[in-house]
Amino acid sequence: MKLTLQIWRQENTATSGHYETFEVDQLDSGMSILEMLDRLNEQLIHAGKESVQFESDCRESICGCCGLTVNGRPHGPQPHVTTCMQRLRMFTDGSTVRIEPLRSASFPVLRDLIVDRSPLDRIIAAGGHVAVPAGTAPDPEAMLIDHTHVERALDFAACIGCGACVAACPNGAAALFTGAKVTHLSMLPVPSVERKNRAEHMVATMEENFGPCSQYGECANVCPQEVPLTAIASLQKERLKSFFAARI
Amino acid sequence: MSTTASDAGTTPPGVSVPELPPAFQVSKREQKTLPNWALKVAMAITGTFGALFLVLHLVGNLKVYTGAEHFNDYALWLRHVGEPLIPANGVIWILRCALALCLLVHVTCGVLIWTRGRAARGKFPAKRNNGFRSVGATLMPFTGCALLVFIVFHILDLTLGTQPIATADFQDHTETAAFAYQNLVADFSRPWAAAIYLVMMALLSVHLAHGLFTVVSDLGAVGKRLRAILIAIGGLLALAILLGNASIPLAVQLGVLK
Repeated sequence: MKLTLQIWRQENTATSGHYETFEVDQLDSGMSILEMLDRLNEQLIHAGKESVQFESDCRESICGCCGLTVNGRPHGPQPHVTTCMQRLRMFTDGSTVRIEPLRSASFPVLRDLIVDRSPLDRIIAAGGHVAVPAGTAPDPEAMLIDHTHVERALDFAACIGCGACVAACPNGAAALFTGAKVTHLSMLPVPSVERKNRAEHMVATMEENFGPCSQYGECANVCPQEVPLTAIASLQKERLKSFFAARI
Repeated sequence: MSTTASDAGTTPPGVSVPELPPAFQVSKREQKTLPNWALKVAMAITGTFGALFLVLHLVGNLKVYTGAEHFNDYALWLRHVGEPLIPANGVIWILRCALALCLLVHVTCGVLIWTRGRAARGKFPAKRNNGFRSVGATLMPFTGCALLVFIVFHILDLTLGTQPIATADFQDHTETAAFAYQNLVADFSRPWAAAIYLVMMALLSVHLAHGLFTVVSDLGAVGKRLRAILIAIGGLLALAILLGNASIPLAVQLGVLK
């Protein structure tokens, strides 16, 4: 199959970017969007031109490294699937596909399709970890946790931090990301010890770097791990609990 | 700017601490005096208060179907409720002040959230792939502004009876009598006024449908059943306010209410 690609090219953060049009032929419908970009780069390098820069690592939907805006939608047309797993069969042969970086004022473009997602890391650094001495592993069954409860916590822990939620949000909010992290940690016994401070610090860092949530629901629509909108309600709950927590 | 060990004063003299990589630097962007999460809670509470008032208003409005006398008696009772403990017009003025305060807080928070959202999105166009939810959320500032204008219009029209918005034969209430029914029928007999009210009720219900959905999350309802019940209540409330209120100008236009 043959596709016309409109790809965002940008030298660095300081310069303004533009779209460049390429034609890629002899594509297989089973190829992923990233494999198509690999094919394009082979062509470009062969022709002695500058290749299109993009990020990727595991290419099996677990690292959160890839993330492009494809035809105006973070990750691509198929909902809940990372860019690396989106297949070309979704496009009709001969159509034009527009590929841009994840779009948000909080994600400055570093080069072509690569953006700086470190504001998300700042939120994690503010409290997305266990800072209390957790000691050695407890004896089996010394600390009982309901199985379904653990499964639910793991549903929120599934977030791979790709940043598609931020790019999808018309408000540039990171509430789904922060909500997923805060919720998963507050649901488990050891990390929940720090839930009050965690909610306060992570929300403060989130608000310094991202916009407010207006419940558009776009984030949950693109999330490759299908983190539900409940994560945002849970974030508000944790923040409110932290606010009203007794401080003697 | 980064927060290094030297900032904390723990580094021995002569030792230089390397800059932390950007991911681990504590952001030094100014902390917001009014945090977004608190703005959202304030909007949720004031919005819920407004929605509850609308339910009360709807119940009052529907009394129009019980006849002119009953409706006018209800209008008069509103001015004398709580007497003699509360002076005449006391309850109505307490309610008006509370609503005005809620409106002020709601609008201020809304403007802040909207402007902060635009700034955080940057210069890129918003994506809308979420159907009705997207439309409702996107329209919030516009339905909100329209409602603000409508509130002023509605007060001038049916409370103060200011010309030229109100009808020429608007009768203000007296100590012992109210003419709410006559004023209402005269008002909605004008097709353009009836049309304005119908359009505004549609915009109000769109605003309520998204607003009440947002309240559920902003006040931290997490449980599956609780969320489902609250979201259903919000949706039904928006629908009831639309159907109940819109039926009145229609009834006048169709000659059911005279």
